Amino acid sequence: MAVVLSGNTDKVVDARSFSMAFGRHVVIKDLSFSVTKGEVFGFLGANGAGKTTTIRALLGLYQPTGGELLINSHRYNADMSAAIGYLPEERGLYRNEPVLETMVYFAVLHGLDQSEAQRRALAYLKRVGLEDKANERLVKLSGGQQQKIQLGVTILHEPALMILDEPTEALDPVNRSLLMDIITERRNKGATVMLVTHRMEEVEQLCDRILMLKDGSAALYGKIDAVKEQFGSKVIAINFSGKLKTNDKLYKITKHLPHSAELHWNNNVTTDDVLRVLANDENLHLMSFEVRLPSLNDIFLQMYKDQEGSDV
Amino acid sequence: MSKIGEVILFEVRRNVKKKTFWYTTLILPVIIIVVTLISHASSNHASSNSVQQTISYSKTAKLAVLDQTGLISRATLLSHHITVEPTEQAGINAVKKGLVSAFFYYPGNVATAGIKVFAQDQGITFTPPYNTLASQLLSNSAVAVVNLKTHDSIAAKILTKAPSVTATTYKNGTPTNGLAGIVAPIVFFAIFLFFAAMISYFTISATTEEKENRAAEILLTTIKSKQLIIGKILSIIVIGVLQVIVILVPLLIAYALFHNHITLPGGVTLSHLPLNPTTLAIGAIVLALGLIMFTGVLVGFGSLFPSSQEASRYLAVVILWAFIPLYAIGYVVNSPNALIVKVFTYFPLTAPSTVLLRNAVGTLSTSEAYGTIAILVVSAALALMFAVRAFSYGAMAYTRRISVKELFQRTADKSLPLKK
Repeated sequence: MAVVLSGNTDKVVDARSFSMAFGRHVVIKDLSFSVTKGEVFGFLGANGAGKTTTIRALLGLYQPTGGELLINSHRYNADMSAAIGYLPEERGLYRNEPVLETMVYFAVLHGLDQSEAQRRALAYLKRVGLEDKANERLVKLSGGQQQKIQLGVTILHEPALMILDEPTEALDPVNRSLLMDIITERRNKGATVMLVTHRMEEVEQLCDRILMLKDGSAALYGKIDAVKEQFGSKVIAINFSGKLKTNDKLYKITKHLPHSAELHWNNNVTTDDVLRVLANDENLHLMSFEVRLPSLNDIFLQMYKDQEGSDV
Repeated sequence: MSKIGEVILFEVRRNVKKKTFWYTTLILPVIIIVVTLISHASSNHASSNSVQQTISYSKTAKLAVLDQTGLISRATLLSHHITVEPTEQAGINAVKKGLVSAFFYYPGNVATAGIKVFAQDQGITFTPPYNTLASQLLSNSAVAVVNLKTHDSIAAKILTKAPSVTATTYKNGTPTNGLAGIVAPIVFFAIFLFFAAMISYFTISATTEEKENRAAEILLTTIKSKQLIIGKILSIIVIGVLQVIVILVPLLIAYALFHNHITLPGGVTLSHLPLNPTTLAIGAIVLALGLIMFTGVLVGFGSLFPSSQEASRYLAVVILWAFIPLYAIGYVVNSPNALIVKVFTYFPLTAPSTVLLRNAVGTLSTSEAYGTIAILVVSAALALMFAVRAFSYGAMAYTRRISVKELFQRTADKSLPLKK
């Protein structure tokens, strides 16, 4: 049973004209967005865009220099921690303490009683295949195993709002899949998830809505399909064998791989015109032809490709 | 809901499990016991050696005396095969010519002039016990004379072993407890200094571990920084108290078993130890406030540093303040009105040790006690506020030190966020 945030608003997270500066360096300016109850919200942006700063300000670790950040209409304080599960970007626990004791300690701080915390910790360790590590010191575990323990600390008290800052960082594909399952499971039980990540495939897979930060402001914000529509035109995605010719009168090749490509068709032509030309090309064997919205990855790359110094 | 109890439980449990806790706790009593045993054994050995050497020397060496006191009997000299020289110069000549090993000259006014010994140099590896032998010869003879002339065994016993002294002192016409009155309250002073000496490791561990482990962020969003830091401060105090208990328990058991037989310096017996409730209450209050204030200051300063290595260098400077009054202990004990003692009494960082010592030796007036307690209450509160603020801001400064100036600037301008 998830711990429920009190209040009757659907806005679990509400940022109102939030600004943040470190001295003269403005990180966030006049940012407004909300995360609604029960959704998975992708909070995206290049490194240094201000994602972690926003999260830290939301959780009271930084004092906003302007506007306000609210969780269920209130400024965050640690009394709300029973309803919040936070996986920070700077991860770490007590490295020299046993795994089980550490998990139980944090669960108790999150409001569980000792025996329930112990029961849930053991169940979680069993689920993620670390039951034999319960009495090991954390430092003895591999990086991926420590990540699982950290996630356990985040979700053991079944929070109503999970704030996950790059949760799949340093995880192998198997563990990443496990983590995605856990997030989906929590979401299905009614939890709200605010997900900070660089991995656009995770966003496409999990998120209902996104906000993409650029230069301290919301460059894109809304449902994923709407963002795609808002950001750019549709593309033609093809799979083929043979040789794809350029054709400036009909289209431009925006992405060209040995057996697949993306094409932007010109204003005065239709997708049928393009299909007809490609299908009749003797040197090209067309295996698929799809008109689709650009991927989030495309949008992300497009948005940041001209930004000097960005690390995307 | 307060989570202070959980923090204390977790911190105490994990620290008590560490080997470091037991090393730091047991090192002092072990050193004291080992040094005492070695010293006792050495003393016994030296004493036994000395007796053996004296007996052996008196049997083998050729000795001569000139006794102008008349106390040493001829029979005694004969029994020790000691010859008599006619003059001092004759005795000296006999030594110079190697005819005798040593010559003891007892002038008639030996009580004021002392005994003169002339002896062969036997190199640096062996110093014959002629001084002891010369003294024993005279004192044994004196006791024999007293016995013979007065038949007074008490006088002879007094000459053999000095009697113990029981002193009763008065202040303004009222009997005071003297040295015995110091024993109980001085324990608070000793506990404070022990705590100050042992506290640094746990303080550093408590303030920098989360930073070094990068656990601060998740902790500060889970528990209020005030509750966390108060829990940590109290846990350090609990750990200190546990250390004191570990050390005191054997002493208390020893007291329970042997208190009638244990005599402290000055003839104070533990079975008759005076316990003044007011003095003990002042000691307990000052100790508690001093511990809270000191731990708060240490935790505050420790929180400003990114690593335990860096913090340990600076915390020693803070801890030093607890011991500074010891450099002026003569003034603190004997000159309570001296300016330096007044300064140490009211300056928060030196107040606990100064006041606890003055409280024990009885030079602390009631008004000074109240004044200091008031200062320590305020100081302890300020120290806790400083610790909370420093920990809140410093906990996430993973790679750099925060200056005190910067911290107070933040206090003045809360809109200024912490730099990453």
